[in-house]
This record gives sequence, C-alpha cells and structure tokens, in this order.
Amino acid sequence: MGNLDNSLRSSIKDEIDAISEYTKIKAETDTPTKNGILPSFKAETERNLDSELKIENPKLSIQSLKAWFSGKLALKGINLDVKENCVTALIGPSGCGKTTLLRCINRMHDLTPNATADGKIILDDLNIYDKQSDPVLIKRRMGMVFQKPNPFPTMSIYDNVAAGLKLNGIKDKNLIKDIVHDSLKGAALWEEVKNDLDKPGISLSGGQQQRLCIARALAMQPEILLMDEPTSALDPIASSKIEELMNDLKKNLTVIIVTHNMQQAARVSDYTAFMYLGELIEFGPTDQIFKYPKKELTERYISGKFG
Amino acid sequence: MVRLLDLGLTKVSSIIFDMAGLAENTVSKAITSYQDNEVSTKNQIFESSAKLRFLQDEVSELCIELIARFQPVATDLRYIKSCMELSYVFSRFGRYAFDIITVLEILGPLELCDKSSVIRMSKLVLEMMDLGISALRLRDNSILAKIYEMEEMVDMMYRKSTRESSQIVTTNNYSDNRCNISTALILKYLERISDHACYIADSVNYIETGMASPRR
Repeated sequence: MGNLDNSLRSSIKDEIDAISEYTKIKAETDTPTKNGILPSFKAETERNLDSELKIENPKLSIQSLKAWFSGKLALKGINLDVKENCVTALIGPSGCGKTTLLRCINRMHDLTPNATADGKIILDDLNIYDKQSDPVLIKRRMGMVFQKPNPFPTMSIYDNVAAGLKLNGIKDKNLIKDIVHDSLKGAALWEEVKNDLDKPGISLSGGQQQRLCIARALAMQPEILLMDEPTSALDPIASSKIEELMNDLKKNLTVIIVTHNMQQAARVSDYTAFMYLGELIEFGPTDQIFKYPKKELTERYISGKFG
Repeated sequence: MVRLLDLGLTKVSSIIFDMAGLAENTVSKAITSYQDNEVSTKNQIFESSAKLRFLQDEVSELCIELIARFQPVATDLRYIKSCMELSYVFSRFGRYAFDIITVLEILGPLELCDKSSVIRMSKLVLEMMDLGISALRLRDNSILAKIYEMEEMVDMMYRKSTRESSQIVTTNNYSDNRCNISTALILKYLERISDHACYIADSVNYIETGMASPRR
C-alpha cells in the first residue's frame, strides 16, 4: 500500500496544494495560462471581432453615402461593399434608412422631391452618382421588387414580363418570347402560368404576382436585384418560394434585400448589414452577425430586446 | 416588457443550476462514501444519478422547444446550445458518482487501503467543479484558466498513479489487488470528471465570446 501512498512526488503535491490555495483567492483576471489555451481563445476573439470586413472585388461599393430628405439627414455616411453573386440583407428598425439606401443604389432616391444624396456608389467601375452617369442606364442594370406586388393591372401575364423589353425598343417577337419564357422560368413561375399567359397579371395570387414582378425585373437581365421587403405581404408558403428563388437567382446576379424578418435574413442572406438611425452599425457574414455579433446594439436588436 | 424567450431561458437556467448543485452533492457524497467505506449511500447516489439523467432530457426538450418557437440568435442561441452541453456534463457527473460507489460495493470493504491519492485528486476535482459552476453562475470567464491548469495537474496525477499501479498489480496479495484496482478505477472516474469540469469552462467561454474550445 505504501506504493500508492507515495504515488505523488512531494514536488507535485506542493504544486497541487499551491493551485488549490491559489484558486481560493479571487483570481486576477485574464492571466495567461502556461499552455496558452485561454489566451488563444482571446487572441482569436480579438482577431475576429475587431477586424473590419473587407470584400474583395465587390460588385457594388457604397462609399461615404449621405442622403437627405428636405434637409434632414437620413443616411449618415454609409460605407458598405456588396459581394457579387451573394445575397446581402439590410436589417434594422423602421426609419433606420434601409429603404432609402436601397433607393439610393438605383437612383430612385433622386426622384423623390427635395431628396438629395452625396457620396459614391461604385457599380463595377462606374460611380453611379457621377454627373455623367445616366440614371436610366443604371436602373436598367438593377431590377427592383417592392413590398406589395405591383403587376401592371391592365396587362396580361405575358405583357407584364415583355413590357420592359418593348419599352426599350426590342421588336423581335421571337426574342421577346424567349426572354419571357426564360424570365418566368427564372422566377419559378413558368410551370404555374404557361397555359394562362394571356390572363391578366392581377388574376394571379399574391405570391404569384410577386414572382411575376421578379420575372418582369429579370427580363431586363439586371446585374443586381434590389428587393424591398418582398415577402411582407405574402403568406408563409409564398414567402418560402420567394426565399428559395433568391437562392437560385444569386447564381446569376447579386441580390440586396431589405427585410424586417430577421429569421428570413438569417435564412437567405450570405451577408447582413444592421442599420440604426441612418448609420451602418455592423456588417458581416450572416452566420457571424446572428451567432456572434460584435456590437451590443446589434445583439440587442436581433435578440428582440429593442425595435 | 419581458421577452417570452426570457421566460423559457429562466426556466432552463433554473434546471441547469439545480442540476449543478445536485451533481456536486452526488460526486461529493460518493467520494465521502468511498473514504468512509459507507456503501449504504448507493441507493441515494443512484437516485440522484437517475434524476440528473432525467433532468438532462428535460433540458434538451426545453431547449429544442425554445429554438423551434423563438428562433433565438446570438447570446441567447449560444446559451441554449451550452445548456444542452452542460446538462450532459452534469448528468455524467451523476453517472461517475454512481460508478465510484459501485466500485466500493463490488470490491469493498476497502478500509485497509491507502486512499490518499484518491482523496488528493478528489479535492482538486471537487474544486474544479465548484469553480466551473461559479464561472457559469457569474458568467465570469476570468477564472477559466485556473480550471484548465488544475486539469493538467489531475492528468499528471492520474498518469503517475496508473504507472505505479501497473507495477504492483502483479502481487498475489488479494487485498492489495482490490485496493489497486479500486484506486485505479476511481482515479479514472475522477480524471473524467475533471475533463467534464473543463467542458463547463469551455461552455462559459463559448457563451461569453462565441469561440469554441478545442476538444480535449
């Protein structure tokens, strides 16, 4: 029995006693361990949480963007890079500037009386706020889908999709037919409407109307699709179809979505930007924003502690 | 206004801290029983162990329900995930306590055995459990480093004891063998408890920082 009795060398025993004693005293915080386990957590934490997100070769780069309504500052110098072929979600409470930012991106903000904007939005190499940039050409490169489905009420399903093409002077009927077909397929609507193309667009259900609007936007072959709360007026089934569609669409274009539904942002987006009172508070990969937000304000908002 | 999710989180926390207290008591009782050759506590320890197992399932169910109903994110989500992990840890503590008393029942009585190595290690392990639970209660990750240090000491003690046991287990003395086998088994259980105490520390770190710890 003596063997086990002496199983602890006195030096080890002393160390154990020292540790046991040491832990009774209130520890001085953050003392690095010898093996470095805890410091390595902290180092990683600091690296991840303090780094600014840089997107290589962004499709769209928003730089120091400010926007005003009747002299009132609505966007306070937004800097945000949007990655190509990804879904970027803009979240934040009502009035934080999400929709204003979206409308600045395709220069719809310009159309609002007494609204002004300053800063740069670089689409590939083009500053869309450059005086020489043509707002019409810019809008052609960016489709937009709104909160409420808004098909042209007097037009058939087919004509709703073809309208933009015709307005842009395309007269080749076969080409138009092909594009309408491709656009309806791209919007996951073809199978549901292929035998009813002559029926009015407004005869469709709400979810179908919204997908018709997406098809209408796709017909212009945009590079970016802007979606302003595209499912807020839809039931859960119709909403999930739009969400699945977004996942397909990003293979060929870049999607920016404004949503009040945080779970939707978490489901569909690759990147999420949280805005508050006209400022971009936090931007990062969606996984990071929803699991480990850097900023207290983001944490509080996405956890439903204010809104 | 209280978030509905907070009501659920409070309930989960309450069960987790009940489990923590019960697990500590159960392990402590098993060690004291071993020390005093008191096998009559076996039923109590079994019941506590079974209760911990039952509570683990309850925490699991509640956490799944909270995720399904409220789709929590950020700290809430990390806390819920950690509670599932912690409930498993506390359930394991109960199981190891039961294993310790079972060793006493099968190999005992062990009053002639030298129990000093077990007593030394158990002192350290109980302290690790206590520190881990305090860190969880206070959400204080400043004391985690001490737990990891103590775990290294436990490992060192365990390796040394195992080496020494293997050298004397060939003796023909029946009493010596019972002592050696019981000591080796109980030291192994204590070593596992110390690992699980580190999992508590890992969970506290994950809740607070979002960073996962390397698996030990």
